[in-house]
Amino acid sequence: MGLASPEEAAQLERLLPFYSELQSAISDFSFQLELYAIQHEEPPPPGVFEKIRDRVRELPAVRDPTYRSNERTSKRAGEYIHVRESSTHIRVHKYWRIAFICIFILAKLLLAGFLFFYISFRRSQQDLQSLRDQQVKTNKARLSPDPQDGDK
Amino acid sequence: MLFSYIQQFVPSRIEAENLLVSIFSRLASRLEAAFASSLSIYCWLQIEARKMILEQRGQQGSTVYPKESAEVKTYYSSLLEEASSEHQWVFREIFLNGRQREELAQQAGKDQAYIGDLLRECMLIIRKKLG
Repeated sequence: MGLASPEEAAQLERLLPFYSELQSAISDFSFQLELYAIQHEEPPPPGVFEKIRDRVRELPAVRDPTYRSNERTSKRAGEYIHVRESSTHIRVHKYWRIAFICIFILAKLLLAGFLFFYISFRRSQQDLQSLRDQQVKTNKARLSPDPQDGDK
Repeated sequence: MLFSYIQQFVPSRIEAENLLVSIFSRLASRLEAAFASSLSIYCWLQIEARKMILEQRGQQGSTVYPKESAEVKTYYSSLLEEASSEHQWVFREIFLNGRQREELAQQAGKDQAYIGDLLRECMLIIRKKLG
């Protein structure tokens, strides 16, 4: 809002690269200010846009003939305008942080559930297999003749 | 958006309109600085607009905004409705009238750090209300 003293502004600029929370706080506050401005906006009187456009066209940088020639246009075609982005972080709304945390926790819960049911399934499979083996052995024992009776 | 912002300094619509045209024409050639700033474009516009308005007011030697009008709730000042009268006074004098902290400290008979603390508290209240 332009209320910081020069010392405070300089201190903030020094600390910004080291503390991402500061940039995040600045971004959040900027977003809130813009939202407030949109909610409380009052349109200017009609004709203001045209006045601004006419005034901007009168600026020397705009009126300079070399800016209007084809040569300048072709020269500027290859000209690279460097727009320096000072931030190394992307900006998202703060509610995305909560959403990502919830999705992360949900994913972990689902993974734990999957592992639990998979292990249970494997155990059940092993129990079933051992029961089948036991049944086969029992059947074989019933079908095979008694060797002692045959010898007598 | 910027028109409403300007009107908190200059209630007259005609004067606010002239200021808006003047501000945009002066800032048009300085937009590269806006991109280099760590602030959003609109916040940068607000800060620069305020500087120009206060500068013009200083050149005219007048304070268009009424000094003692605590009952007028406009724009950001309305976010400090529930704050103490001292907080509202500090914010109004510094933000709207462009007075320095030293001047207010002298007037209030306190030190500059006290005024700084009050201003910081105002910002916290505004930030909380906006959030």
